Amino acid sequence: MTDTSLSLDLAMEPTAGARMRKRLFGQKSLVLGSGLLLLIMLVALFAPLLATHDPYAQDLAHRTVPPFWYAKGSLEHILGTDNLGRDYFSRLLYGARISLLIGLSVMVISGIIGTTLGLLAGYFGGKADLLVTFLVTTRLAMPVMLVALAVVAMVGGSLPVIVLVLGFLKWDRFAVVMRSATQQARALDYVAAAEAVGASTPRIILGEILPNVLPQLIVVATLEAASAILLEASLSFLGLGVQPPLPSWGLMISEAKNYMFFSFWLIAIPGTMLALLVLAINLAGDGLRDIFAPEGR
Amino acid sequence: MGKFNPGKVAAIGCIALAMFGTGVALAGKADNDIRFAYDQAPESVDPYFNNVRIGVIIGQHVWDTLVYRDPDTGEYKGQLAQSWRRIDDRTIEFELRQGIKFHNGEEFDAEDAVYTLNFVADPENAVTTQQNVSWIEKAEKIDKYKFRLISKEVFPAAIEYLSGPVVMHPDEYYKEVGPAGMNAKPVGTGPFRVTEYDVGKSITLEKNPDYFADSPKKQGPIEKIVIRFIPDRQTQMAEVLSDGVDFIMHVPKDQAEQLEAMTNLQVVSGETMRIAFMQMNSQDGTPSEALRDERVRKAIIHAIDRETMVKEIVGAGSRVLNTICFPAQFGCTDEGAPVYKYDPEKAKALLAEAGFANGLDLDLVAYRERNQTEAIIGYLKAVGINANLQFLQYAAMRDLIRSNKVMLTHQTWGSFSVNDVSAATPVYFGFEKDDITRDPEVRDFLKKGDTTISPEDRKAAYRDALKLIAERAYAVPLYSLPVYYVATADLNFKAYPDEMPRFWEMTWK
Repeated sequence: MTDTSLSLDLAMEPTAGARMRKRLFGQKSLVLGSGLLLLIMLVALFAPLLATHDPYAQDLAHRTVPPFWYAKGSLEHILGTDNLGRDYFSRLLYGARISLLIGLSVMVISGIIGTTLGLLAGYFGGKADLLVTFLVTTRLAMPVMLVALAVVAMVGGSLPVIVLVLGFLKWDRFAVVMRSATQQARALDYVAAAEAVGASTPRIILGEILPNVLPQLIVVATLEAASAILLEASLSFLGLGVQPPLPSWGLMISEAKNYMFFSFWLIAIPGTMLALLVLAINLAGDGLRDIFAPEGR
Repeated sequence: MGKFNPGKVAAIGCIALAMFGTGVALAGKADNDIRFAYDQAPESVDPYFNNVRIGVIIGQHVWDTLVYRDPDTGEYKGQLAQSWRRIDDRTIEFELRQGIKFHNGEEFDAEDAVYTLNFVADPENAVTTQQNVSWIEKAEKIDKYKFRLISKEVFPAAIEYLSGPVVMHPDEYYKEVGPAGMNAKPVGTGPFRVTEYDVGKSITLEKNPDYFADSPKKQGPIEKIVIRFIPDRQTQMAEVLSDGVDFIMHVPKDQAEQLEAMTNLQVVSGETMRIAFMQMNSQDGTPSEALRDERVRKAIIHAIDRETMVKEIVGAGSRVLNTICFPAQFGCTDEGAPVYKYDPEKAKALLAEAGFANGLDLDLVAYRERNQTEAIIGYLKAVGINANLQFLQYAAMRDLIRSNKVMLTHQTWGSFSVNDVSAATPVYFGFEKDDITRDPEVRDFLKKGDTTISPEDRKAAYRDALKLIAERAYAVPLYSLPVYYVATADLNFKAYPDEMPRFWEMTWK
């Protein structure tokens, strides 16, 4: 009798791992988003193996060949060729690398800056808080696009310049979220306990607070990565971002603009890919938020 | 039936959108009007205070010049001037036509010509198109219909300049209102007068009813030209597809070829005097020491497949050049100049010889025909040269060039439609501001050509200069650029190599 009730209790109470799995896979958006993101990452990683052509090899005699499903298309160029006769499929694969590279590096740079500022402001409060709040308001007063355009126009666009400019501009959300999260964590008992046993301040910030605000950090990071990718595409579209012949999706859209009326696929294909990537990151970010910080829903 | 074509659907969608947008625009044909869209607005309508093509086009319609060059025969005819003769090497005497009136009623006489020429020649008045007028020393009135023009030095190409960019203003009006007033309310003697001007948006020209019948610019049946400034080419295309405008120009080759499929449109292309070339900064203080090496410069020329570019992306009516000038210009020749064939292997060998077997990084500035620049970058990459593109507005690029901060440039030059080498090669090799090679030997030959009267000696001097430029590989001569016009199928017009649509002679079918 007792045995059965015990086993029933056990069956009713899933293990922590099972609970986590259920939470993870119960999130449709997370599964879909991270699956898509993983796919794009794999494609970017193995671009040299998957690409059917050299993405830089131009062939002026075979320009704007349509993709294979058009009457004039062929399997030689699955997605056709661009206005200089470069294989569109191969450029699209390599373009995924640029987009992901920019998304990740901007996220890391701005994440480091913003998290540091946020942690310091939240932990120390007082003057440190005032200073960081001032920095954040100053930064928020400058429109990212405008500053990025001005800097790029002055020093010239290239991949490192874009990464640095966006990295140094997009830390504000990290700082704001980290600041309030730290303020909350600071008031919790385990921080007081750590202080009581005489742990050093860096140890408390890095060892006690940071791990506890990590979920919020991850959510902000995904959103920022997606927005950095879109910003790079906008800058490249305006001709001030990544410079040719690098195959950036934004640049591909920009180059295809002139062919919009009659060679629709040129603009539709990189546009779709860009939308898919940003959607994937945002879905994954939303899913993570629902798991780690459901109150923010 | 064919496969589903999303492109066509998109095109039709855009056409439909454009039609809603311009629902009120009436067809120009019924009223003998032409609606013309252009991508840049001139900074001033006064032809001396802008250096863009649309300014030249408006200039030739609203104003007249002393001399007219027949675009078919190349023969000079009197326009505002009845006749002219050379008094000495530096002086030309003009006899003016009588009874010509400006649009405001003022009579045209020697006072107007003398005032205009002295005004533009004075550097203090800072006209934008200096190279068109800086050769003028002064003009002197002799009597009401006669005056003399004196050049600073011997200047054999004077008549060519006077038949192009040097238009005549009314002296009383110009004295009173100046260039700013001339821009606000333009007054000339030309076959059309400005009746409406919405700065930066549109300008309307109407037939001048009092135009003198003896002008070599014969007035046709066209009553009105409405010029709209539409910066975006896609919008221009949508307008012409939806019958919102009748005439557009400078349409890129690919788009023009696509528009050719539309039955209500005609596409006409032709060669222009505009040449494309690349400068390679080899003067003192160049940011790239590598470019001082002749082998590197030759490698760059060998690396670019100009034949294929002309055939595939530049378009009908263009040709490969071997010297830095337009072949029809007086004095332009590639006689004796070496021809650098497309040969990537040779380019790689030359680079290796110069010590750049592992590649070379160079900056490249450009400002128009970006697809051509990108093709050039692709060719350079294939031989190991990584060209980092800076795509700029023309003015920004010009400033970089003039401050010696560029390595490679992708330049074009239209010579202001002046049919003489003095308007082309010396601009880039005669120690002018845009010269970034600065070879005194080249300069001396060019100078000799510019200031010698005998046509044979001039040709010889220019030939020597052009040959030297090619031998020492100071620049990459690319090709002449074609222009594509797209117009409503019912419009009769002819394309000329000077990129000048002549609306006064167009007719509707």
